[in-house]
Amino acid sequence: MDYAIQQMVNALSFGAEYALLALGLAIVFSVMGLVNFAHGDVIAVGGYTMVAFAAIVTANPWIVILGAIVAAALTSVLLERVAFRPVRYADPTTGLLTAFGVSIVLQNLFLLFVSPRPIAVTSLYFMDVPIEMFGVQVSSLQLLESVTTVLVIVGLTLFLNRSVWGLAMRAASLDFEMVRLMGIRANRVFALAFLISGLLAGLACIFIMARRGSVDPHLGFNPVLKAFVACVVGGFGSLPGAVLGGFLLGAVEVGMLVLLPQEYGGMKDAFVFGIIALILVWRPNGILSPAVEKGDKL
Amino acid sequence: MTLARHQKRGLIGAALLSLILIAIGVLAAWFGSRYQLRLVYGAYVNLLVVLGLQVFMGNARVTNLSHSAFMGIGAYAAAICVTPAATKAISLPDAPWGLAAFTLDPLTSAIIAIVITAAIAALVGLFIVRMTAIGATIASLAVLVIIHSIFLFRTDIFKGNQAFFGIPQVFSLTSIVVLSVVVVLIARGFRESHWGIQLRASADDETGAAAMGVNVVRLRLVAWVLSGIILALAGIAYAYYLGTISARPFYFNHVFLTLAMLILGGMRTVTGAVLGTFLISFGLEVVRWLETGPVVAGVDLPEALGLSGVVLGLVIVLTMTLRPQGVMGDREIEDIILRR
Amino acid sequence: MLDIRNLKVLYGPIEAVHGISLRVEEGQCVTLLGPNGAGKSSTISAICGVAKATGDITFLGQDLLGTEIEDRVRAGISVSPEGRRIFSNLSVEANLQLGAGIRTDRDGIEADIDHWFTTFPILGERRTQSAGTLSGGEQQMLAIARALMAKPKILLLDEPSLGLAPRIVGQIFDMIEQLKSEGMTILLVEQNARQALRISDYAYLLNTGTIQAEGTTATLGQNDELMAKLTGLG
Ligand SMILES: Nc1ncnc2c1ncn2[C@@H]1O[C@H](COP(=O)(O)OP(=O)(O)O)[C@@H](O)[C@H]1O
Ligand SMILES: [Mg+2]
Repeated sequence: MDYAIQQMVNALSFGAEYALLALGLAIVFSVMGLVNFAHGDVIAVGGYTMVAFAAIVTANPWIVILGAIVAAALTSVLLERVAFRPVRYADPTTGLLTAFGVSIVLQNLFLLFVSPRPIAVTSLYFMDVPIEMFGVQVSSLQLLESVTTVLVIVGLTLFLNRSVWGLAMRAASLDFEMVRLMGIRANRVFALAFLISGLLAGLACIFIMARRGSVDPHLGFNPVLKAFVACVVGGFGSLPGAVLGGFLLGAVEVGMLVLLPQEYGGMKDAFVFGIIALILVWRPNGILSPAVEKGDKL
Repeated sequence: MTLARHQKRGLIGAALLSLILIAIGVLAAWFGSRYQLRLVYGAYVNLLVVLGLQVFMGNARVTNLSHSAFMGIGAYAAAICVTPAATKAISLPDAPWGLAAFTLDPLTSAIIAIVITAAIAALVGLFIVRMTAIGATIASLAVLVIIHSIFLFRTDIFKGNQAFFGIPQVFSLTSIVVLSVVVVLIARGFRESHWGIQLRASADDETGAAAMGVNVVRLRLVAWVLSGIILALAGIAYAYYLGTISARPFYFNHVFLTLAMLILGGMRTVTGAVLGTFLISFGLEVVRWLETGPVVAGVDLPEALGLSGVVLGLVIVLTMTLRPQGVMGDREIEDIILRR
Repeated sequence: MLDIRNLKVLYGPIEAVHGISLRVEEGQCVTLLGPNGAGKSSTISAICGVAKATGDITFLGQDLLGTEIEDRVRAGISVSPEGRRIFSNLSVEANLQLGAGIRTDRDGIEADIDHWFTTFPILGERRTQSAGTLSGGEQQMLAIARALMAKPKILLLDEPSLGLAPRIVGQIFDMIEQLKSEGMTILLVEQNARQALRISDYAYLLNTGTIQAEGTTATLGQNDELMAKLTGLG
């Protein structure tokens, strides 16, 4: 019984992390139709910022964390400015390939200017201690992660439903030109989408770094792959879909870990993606794919 | 069979491209050192991959990221068949299903490899071609990861990141030049065929094409499988020349590299695929040389690992922002040389 | 107020409007009539900055050509576009809030939203429902109200009566007439010539991208041949 609960907690915390990552992708996609492959590299920028802060500025973990979040957010906004603005109104494939290129550039810049080898960051170890809750051993990190994701979902929901900028972002996902015809500046809407996405990447970065304890140029790759899959399963562009896809992916992954015999551990991803593929056969556009409806153009 | 006007022009274009491919091969054979010959051969292998990629991406306008994995399937399948049983007894002692117990001739092995790759491509394609463009791209990324993890996991068959050695080196520069000419003809032929034209029209206007009764899903599947077959050829050519393969070259770096080639040249045309491949192949050699930290004009440059990656990424970003259709755009070689 | 000279609208290589000139004075309601494909919407798009155009567009003495869409709205141009284009995934109230996106006076915005909810009780009843659930006529009213939330100096209306039942069309025109009597400057695009001419001061007849006739509604009304043609259209 304990084992089952333990695994459910695992599934939940994995799912929380994937949901956080997937939301970062989905928010940009919903506004500008861009599949931001470079999202993972924004996470890596956060990781390297931790290294730099811990080495140069201070060992205080909270400042290190804050630094990483700010760095990720700024990087995300900067990328919009220099790389994604020219392809803002281009078709999704052009955007995707641009993001692809940006990702390659960033990864190789880390390689070129930092190191191909992993660099350890020890300041976050304190976040991962075993605690007992209702008689079950869980890690404080898992708890923190789940709570953060819930807070993020609540915060985002409030923002998107209550504030004019949030409403503008939702409206933009349907008809961006009409939002501009309200006098709301497109530049701000895009910058905001990337800012939020960057903040989410920063949060995700903390949990990823706390678990791995080191950063290397390809740090962001696996997370962003998972986030992609979560988005595709949930329905690309749908924020609830991203959350749903994230938790579903977490559940499938833990299910695989439990069910697969030990010696097949290396094949976990293959099986996970296989199951995901089956879901997509059932719903090729994802479970909660947003309806494609647009008013007539002017 | 009579050819339509655009098909005749296509034939002329393919012939012109073939001449260029043969000329590069002949020049390399005359003037190249052994090391340079290897590089040129590598460029031709990548050309096959980029052509395979073009057949699907250029006509269906859906980005594929799994192509290197299909090249890998072709390479491994051929390697397992053609490598002498005696060698396999040493290198694959635990191989299941008697894979280590037989030896086939190179041609039979190649045919089997093509059939296997095509079958797997068809199976995967059934899923991929039904999705939206973005969904298909990300699914293809997942396919890449799945196939790669199988290569790594089944060390008893593929040896993972270790070298799978002992493949007879039956290919030469001549063989791959001939092969690339054949593949250029196939790619151009498909582009100008009825199916190719319908597929391109449907990519430009999906609802319009569907209204005219075009079965987009089926056409995409045809392009996908044909693409898979060409990728298998590339893998076979790779294995038959090097004699040694491992899983690593069939993964991300190669995906990026070949994708950059196609994007730069222009994915809509076969000419673009050829141009992009050679531009980047030769350009990268210069960058790789810079990467090692050479002495240029008396200045000792530092070692710069990652420079080639930065350049590749920038090529993609700049092409997408400045000229998203690539250098060639919608023009094939004959559109430049002949009058419209 | 709005002065357009030699306007050409371009869609890539295609020229949809071939150098037209038109004026709208403050407080006037000017109508642009013409059959489908005449270039009416293209003209509106060019004024908003959505379509690429050449020529002169002067608004309150300011040259608009080359300015961004957002800046034109901020200069005082609001539009209720063809097909209404309300944000169907947002609530009715959110649509109005976005309409006021360039304003910062929270209380004023609240008051204006309340004003529209009392003017159109149907919208008030559905304030939290998604705007996509409204009927065509209600959506059109929402689109006009949304455009007015920005407190524009000129209102562009592109075929507000399109696809609506005759009774609803009457309501829409009453609303436009009411706006005009309150002093709003309006550029109206219509195919419904009879109704449009009833409420406007001046009219242009556009066909295949050129202006074929223009005049005050009084003079146009005396041209029987033209009227027969126009009302035949509407
Ligand atoms: N986005 C567009 N791209 C190309 N041509 C267009 C576009 N929009 C309109 N047109 C063309 O411009 C002409 C005028 O269209 P429009 O301004 O919509 O006419 P109206 O509003 O008077 O019915 C038509 O011939 C139409 O086909
Ligand atoms: Mg119109």
